[in-house]
Amino acid sequence: MYRAFAFKVALVLGLLALLVAACAPAATPTPAPPPEATPVPEVVELQLMGWSSSAAENTRLQQMIDTFNAQHPTIQVTLNLVPEYDTTLQAALAGGTPPDAFYVDSFRLPDLAGAGSLAVGGGRIEASGDFYPSLREAFTYQGDFYCPPKDFSTLALQYNTAMLEAAGIEVPTTWEELRAGAEALTDAEAGVYGLVLPADFARWIVFLYQAGGSVTDPDFTQMTINTPEAAAALEFYTSLVLDGFATTPSEVGAGWPGEAFGQQKAAMAIEGNWMVPYLEDQFPDVAYGVAELPAGAGGQATMAFTVCYGVPADAAHPEESWTLVNWLTGAEGMQQWTDLGLAMPTRASLQEHWLGQFPDLEPFLAGAAYAHKWQFVPGFGDVLNAVNDNIQRIFAGQQTVEAALAEIEAVGNEVLAR
Amino acid sequence: MFSWLRSRKYEDVIAGWTFLAPAGTILLVFLVAPILAALWVSFRDWNGISPMDRSNFVGLENYTALLVDKGIRQSDFFKALKNTLYYVLGVVPTQTVIALLLATIVNQRWLKGKSFFRTSYYFPSITSSVAISLIMIWLFQKNGLINFFLGQIFPVFEGLNWLENLNGVIHLFLGIFGLNARSVPPWMTTEKILGLTPWDWISGPSITLLSIMLLNIWTTVGTMMIIYLAALQDIPAHLYEAAAVDGANSWQTFRRVTLPLLRPVTFFVVTLGMIGTFQVFDQIFVISSGGPAKTTLTVAWMVYFNGFKNSSMGLAAATAFVLFAIIFSLTLLQRRIVETPSEL
Repeated sequence: MYRAFAFKVALVLGLLALLVAACAPAATPTPAPPPEATPVPEVVELQLMGWSSSAAENTRLQQMIDTFNAQHPTIQVTLNLVPEYDTTLQAALAGGTPPDAFYVDSFRLPDLAGAGSLAVGGGRIEASGDFYPSLREAFTYQGDFYCPPKDFSTLALQYNTAMLEAAGIEVPTTWEELRAGAEALTDAEAGVYGLVLPADFARWIVFLYQAGGSVTDPDFTQMTINTPEAAAALEFYTSLVLDGFATTPSEVGAGWPGEAFGQQKAAMAIEGNWMVPYLEDQFPDVAYGVAELPAGAGGQATMAFTVCYGVPADAAHPEESWTLVNWLTGAEGMQQWTDLGLAMPTRASLQEHWLGQFPDLEPFLAGAAYAHKWQFVPGFGDVLNAVNDNIQRIFAGQQTVEAALAEIEAVGNEVLAR
Repeated sequence: MFSWLRSRKYEDVIAGWTFLAPAGTILLVFLVAPILAALWVSFRDWNGISPMDRSNFVGLENYTALLVDKGIRQSDFFKALKNTLYYVLGVVPTQTVIALLLATIVNQRWLKGKSFFRTSYYFPSITSSVAISLIMIWLFQKNGLINFFLGQIFPVFEGLNWLENLNGVIHLFLGIFGLNARSVPPWMTTEKILGLTPWDWISGPSITLLSIMLLNIWTTVGTMMIIYLAALQDIPAHLYEAAAVDGANSWQTFRRVTLPLLRPVTFFVVTLGMIGTFQVFDQIFVISSGGPAKTTLTVAWMVYFNGFKNSSMGLAAATAFVLFAIIFSLTLLQRRIVETPSEL
């Protein structure tokens, strides 16, 4: 019996050993490389990883890569656009086989930088003074500037021209005008609302900053969200919905605010540059204008949503990776990219050229001057969820503004203390 | 020296293990090894981004953060567990009963076009759950078909916002009797048991979760029906003949002959249903992402969120193991209860 058992164990171990041997690299000694230098420079192959966007964007990016490859005979870049991006990137980074350059969203930056997976750009980023300061800051974590922003979008006010005219309303420039306008534009009988507001931190936060409030202290040691300013902002945002002057997208059967705006169930919306191609594509007949967001007691504020090209900390070919990233975010590459008219150039020097082509989108670009970064600390997703959770409960009449802010503050301080 | 290898007995052993090797290797590499790795990760503070060996050993910290320490992780976990339990309790019994009912009907001799019914009931089970979830979003929209039909049947019905409705059904039911968060005794809404107030614990599934439960019942019933159908066709005809001779009517036959004989299959169907529902993820991923107000936050969704969106892979692994422990012990318990009586 004992021997049978020992045999089985030995067999299993043997199989395992075989398996390990099969997985291990071949043991045959590789011949030493010939000492003389090769006359033809070796071609370095790079992989750029990103998420798939619209067909127009995917095509344009491929064209840019082709241009780059033609200009750099020693570097060959392949573009790899993946679905379920975060998961794929995380597996590649943790597995030690990162792509040579990849998209990094500003909200995700602290996670990646904090894990030590991103290379610090610093001086390797060319002409970094030309980037808008708010965008440089969005990719600065604990004092280090990590990666050059590829483009950005800001939040602005979209308004339905015909509906505003019919109601005889000017485009609102203050909170008071926004509320009064939303009230005048609302026709509950017809199922039309003045404004569409989702239960989303990424939208409420502009009101928080406009009221003069903030989320945390500059060094992320403590939450500063339980203040009279924040209470005023949350009260203003949620009362618009509770008083019936604004609707959530789902309440009018829409998937997101843009859809509600396009279906003309809401006269105004607060969204970013992505509204422009969406409306053009889905609702070409809706005439609308774009304006800067109304100012609150604390002045003007908006959010900048931006993505950079990151280089992994243990890049196989750091020199070539930075060449690629600098080209893509340099004058030539960025102009090719932003001439699509979707997202905006992150370099101040390209501002005039872009505005010359898309004068109607000026309010989005004007936001760059007073935009806040969408970036906190690793694990801030818990706070994001807590804010959304509380706004939803206020909308449903199950939570008060005071209790909500206290709860968000507690969750936030717990996350910051981790 | 190896003469013993030539003996008949060892030849059998060698042949056995050799035949087992391909499947065994695959199981070891793709099942056992990842499970062990996940167990290892659950004791570390790994963020899921940097290489695994750069993380630190933190002992039981991930488990205590979930189960013991007061905070957002504990309250999220028990919220997720609460939602998941309501989900399981709603879906498993309903789908089992409906599946048995459908199987019994489809098994009748007088029924014409059996294969048509079989196919149409089974169809949702083989369709991609993502595709079905997307269609469901469309059906359950505020201006979608469900609200339209309900409005046609009940003219007073105003149309529910199914997909963003955080009201719990038990709360709504209690509300009929005037019981709500303001009228219940204060301790119900202030005292916290495992991160949630008693009033939160008894919320029932939210309307949104209920919609997802309906979807899940509809998609899984077909699979369970097929299993029941196979079992029904396995019951020897002479037992029914004997029952008929004894003068049993059709209900008595069903209750006294069919049901007891289906007992092992019922155990199988309930276990399968329970494991599946405890791990509900894809519908949540497509439809609600845990919202509104965390009422569709489930344990499996929490694993995904913490592992891939919130840099806490260690916590995610620990959550997965707690879920495993729950499913495992409930399956054992259920086996005790349903165990086939030996006198049959």
